[in-house]
Amino acid sequence: MRSLRVFCSIGVRLLFAALMTTPASGAADGYAFDPSETEKKIYSFGGYAEVKPILFDLDRGAALYKTRFFDRGVGDPLRQVDFTLQLDGGIEWNIFKAFARINNSLSRTCDGWLDDSKPYELFVAAKPTPSLTASAGKLTAKWGKGYAWNPVAFVDRPKDSDDPTLNLEGFYMAGFDYIKSFEGPLKTVSFSPLLLPVDYGLNNDFGESGHTNFAAKVYFLLWDTDIDFLFLTGNSRPDRFGFDFSRNITTNLEIHGESAWIKDFRLKKVDAAGVVSESEFDAWSGLLGLRYLSRIDTTYILEYYHNGTGYSEREAKDYYTFVDRAYDVYLDTGNAGPIRKAANLTRGAYGRSNPMRDYLYLRVSQKEPFDILYFTPAVTTIFNLNDRSFSLSPELLYTGITNLELRLKGTLLVGDNASEFGEKQSDARLELRVRYYF
Amino acid sequence: MLKMLSILISLVCAAGASALDGAEILEKVDRNLAPPSYELYRKLINIEPNGAKKEYVLYTVKKGKDRVAGVFLSPASDKGRSTLRLGENMWLYIPNVGKPVRITSLQSVVGGVFNNSDLLQLDYSDEYDVVGLEESDTEYILDLKAKTRSVAYDRLKMWVDREKIMPTRIECKTEAEMLIKTLYFKEIQDFGGGFVRPAVIETDSPLYKGYKSILMFAKLKVRDFPDEVFTLTYMPNIESLR
Repeated sequence: MRSLRVFCSIGVRLLFAALMTTPASGAADGYAFDPSETEKKIYSFGGYAEVKPILFDLDRGAALYKTRFFDRGVGDPLRQVDFTLQLDGGIEWNIFKAFARINNSLSRTCDGWLDDSKPYELFVAAKPTPSLTASAGKLTAKWGKGYAWNPVAFVDRPKDSDDPTLNLEGFYMAGFDYIKSFEGPLKTVSFSPLLLPVDYGLNNDFGESGHTNFAAKVYFLLWDTDIDFLFLTGNSRPDRFGFDFSRNITTNLEIHGESAWIKDFRLKKVDAAGVVSESEFDAWSGLLGLRYLSRIDTTYILEYYHNGTGYSEREAKDYYTFVDRAYDVYLDTGNAGPIRKAANLTRGAYGRSNPMRDYLYLRVSQKEPFDILYFTPAVTTIFNLNDRSFSLSPELLYTGITNLELRLKGTLLVGDNASEFGEKQSDARLELRVRYYF
Repeated sequence: MLKMLSILISLVCAAGASALDGAEILEKVDRNLAPPSYELYRKLINIEPNGAKKEYVLYTVKKGKDRVAGVFLSPASDKGRSTLRLGENMWLYIPNVGKPVRITSLQSVVGGVFNNSDLLQLDYSDEYDVVGLEESDTEYILDLKAKTRSVAYDRLKMWVDREKIMPTRIECKTEAEMLIKTLYFKEIQDFGGGFVRPAVIETDSPLYKGYKSILMFAKLKVRDFPDEVFTLTYMPNIESLR
């Protein structure tokens, strides 16, 4: 706990120092608009460098602690430092464009140094007319209207609801966007089909290999409402289709929703005795949300999410019971077989960011309180409606220094035994993210 | 004789000008500020009471009465962030997040005194009705009321240079006449193509005491765009129009 206090103190001091510091750009003793600032180059280069120290206040009785650390002792609090270097580069010539976003990460964890480098995006595109853009390569589709979850994001990797604005790795796809505008209540229609092969070493983590999958989105702006119809078919994943919408009810109130149906979804389950089975069913997932901006610049984002592919409270409890028993077996006999089996299950569907059925998400952020420009405090909660466990994350964000972003974020994980947030590996987490854009 | 002729012409012009009603003045203000369809570059500078500055450069395109789109070119932390307005619909696209989200006219994309409505502004005559007109020797003073509740400021009071038919100052107010901010139009500049307009708009606000924002204009050009440019699907590509 002492480390937590020291860490917290350093973080707050750093943020306070940033708030009190005059940015490097200097005093406003004159201003000019240099034409060179508007010149277009055929190439572009940018990205960000980030360092993120994290402290975990471990919960040694939790299921996810046991599956990860059953055979070794680790210090408490657990310290981790993540370094990220994201490089973006692009060339644009005539109607053609090539773009690459390479994510490089290095982490100092209790497992030692871990590093990874992979392209998040890597594609070429041609835009013969403003109505038509064709692209091929590693792309991110980013379907859906939800903030924390996107059940209709059929060709995207799942978001981390704890940090939904992080950019995600794409899949290798080819497709195009065709746009048509109209006068009247129907203002826009666009069609975006995609081919996604899971073969030749491409997209192996998408699903069953040896297939080419077809997905498409049709977008309408109708009566000032964004509406998408979307589907994915092919044999790598079960077929699925859905729709989403977003609309401003009033100037300051937006509502959005998503609905997704998945045919013949297969879910692996384990009972309390450790017997693994698989069930197949048609699943429905949905999301309903709103975003409200108050007169004093407070933004509220509220979402309800039903995860039809998730576990019921009973099924989750069986899994936690199995982990507890497997851990006891390991302690009593030294037999690591059952706990390793539990760890493997944790790496699958049980280890998803939100593996159960019904959630509420609420984020309240206040722009520039006390006249402090570029300062945004926020608090976020994710509430599991099935087992009534929750996470609570206050954060302080400061972006006042050009290209530098400072975020101090704490997270409390609260829940009973055999509840989702009660069985996470830590009871609390504190992180400072320092990101510099270039 | 020449002097008398000059006085006569001035009187005729003055009579002609005063014959303008408020709506006509407002439409002339709009056309003197920008053509109906154009592209332009703007630099937004937020200045804090201690003199600290933060600068943003934006590229903006507009078509007709209700279509505006823009993209941030700098700083690096905001590069690629684009905004779109289609009538009363507004969206923000952040490259990292990837998908456009709906925003409101009162929000500020970048922080500071300017908000989305200022950065995605349509013609004044499209958003406001003239409900009052005062005249002096040098100025018209227009009282404007928003046509719909979706406009960021319910009331505007606009001081217009009588000779140039160009705004010099605009007070932005709530429905209850509370002052939110004041815009000062400065530094008349010839942008070419017949456009001579203020190149700088300064803003201050009683809500942000001591803070100031400056919007500078460059390379204003008449340009027509296909309607498809002003769509959600096109938002990631707005910079390619440059």
